Amino acid sequence: MAAGPRPRKSFLRHEKPRRATRRSERRMAPLVPKSGDAIFASIDRVVGPMNTAEASTKSEALINAELFTLTYGAMVRQLLTDLEEVDVVNKQLDQMGYNIGVRLIDEFLAKSNVSRCVDFKETADVIAKVGLKMFLGVTASVSNWDPEGSSFSLVLDDNPLVDFVELPDTFQGLHYCNILSGVIRGALEMVSMKTEITWIRDMLHGDDAYELRVKLLKQIPEEYPYKDDE
Amino acid sequence: MIACVAVVGHQNNPLYLQSFTGADDALKLHHIVHCSLDVIDERVNNPKRSVITLNESYLGLLYPTESYKVYGYLSNTKVKFLVVTTDLDVKDTDIRSFFRRFHAAYVDAVSNPFHVPGKKIISRIFAVRVSGIVKAFAPGTYG
Repeated sequence: MAAGPRPRKSFLRHEKPRRATRRSERRMAPLVPKSGDAIFASIDRVVGPMNTAEASTKSEALINAELFTLTYGAMVRQLLTDLEEVDVVNKQLDQMGYNIGVRLIDEFLAKSNVSRCVDFKETADVIAKVGLKMFLGVTASVSNWDPEGSSFSLVLDDNPLVDFVELPDTFQGLHYCNILSGVIRGALEMVSMKTEITWIRDMLHGDDAYELRVKLLKQIPEEYPYKDDE
Repeated sequence: MIACVAVVGHQNNPLYLQSFTGADDALKLHHIVHCSLDVIDERVNNPKRSVITLNESYLGLLYPTESYKVYGYLSNTKVKFLVVTTDLDVKDTDIRSFFRRFHAAYVDAVSNPFHVPGKKIISRIFAVRVSGIVKAFAPGTYG
């Protein structure tokens, strides 16, 4: 299938004929057909600008960021068609995010080698700088700590999920990126923090950035399913 | 100066039509665009194109009328981009780059998951970008 004429930055950069690359520079598994090289070679947005050492250790295939964006868009669209109510779709996206989050946290902890967080502030920084960078390729900033230190705002200036998206008027109540709130909630719950996450600002509704408010409800101490009988 | 731009789908259904002059000759511009579609069909079916063409076919000057010139551009999905301009001499390279930017804006608008392919483009960002491209094309012909 001929590649369509989409002159995007990520394509043009890789349209030079393939030269023999060192293994550390190769980003894809070597079985990708040559015509797909130009399209699949650029994964800058999804995984972030990685250095070549990281690239060589990643054995899984990386995908084009536009494919990811379009897939997510198609999924939201399908949910809207199936469920029809914006609130139900929001809840469903959150639930899907939750399911992703409970699994993602293990991968994150295994890959990132961060140590146990001392307090919630450190958790916030780790999510914003390490977690989001690893999975979405963007960093967020943490701000607006409340006086007790139990809730903070995560501000994202850039969000690969919403490239090209414009919400039509009929779906104005939709939180398009609600999956992100579910992912964070699920991930934190697996490390014994029960949180509540709400959207404060949303670029699709006209604001200038994405702002998530993360509130720690309680820390759940680890429970063991058996009693120590000494 | 660019009088109007139009995007027409592969079944000759209008997807986007925007005029940049006074509103009174909007209908006339639509009529001109409509006539140009026939010229495009003629060119597409003409066996003159026996040489293998590129994916993006810049069709060039389609239809010079008394005061307007119409340029066309065909994408490989048979989506037609048309530009009606009042300039007497327009450089080919300028028009080509205009169409490239126009095409890029169109592609971004169509990638919106809420856009239904085949329906009109309702994206406001697309309208803003197209106005920007039109303004950038003819910076010296105002006033």
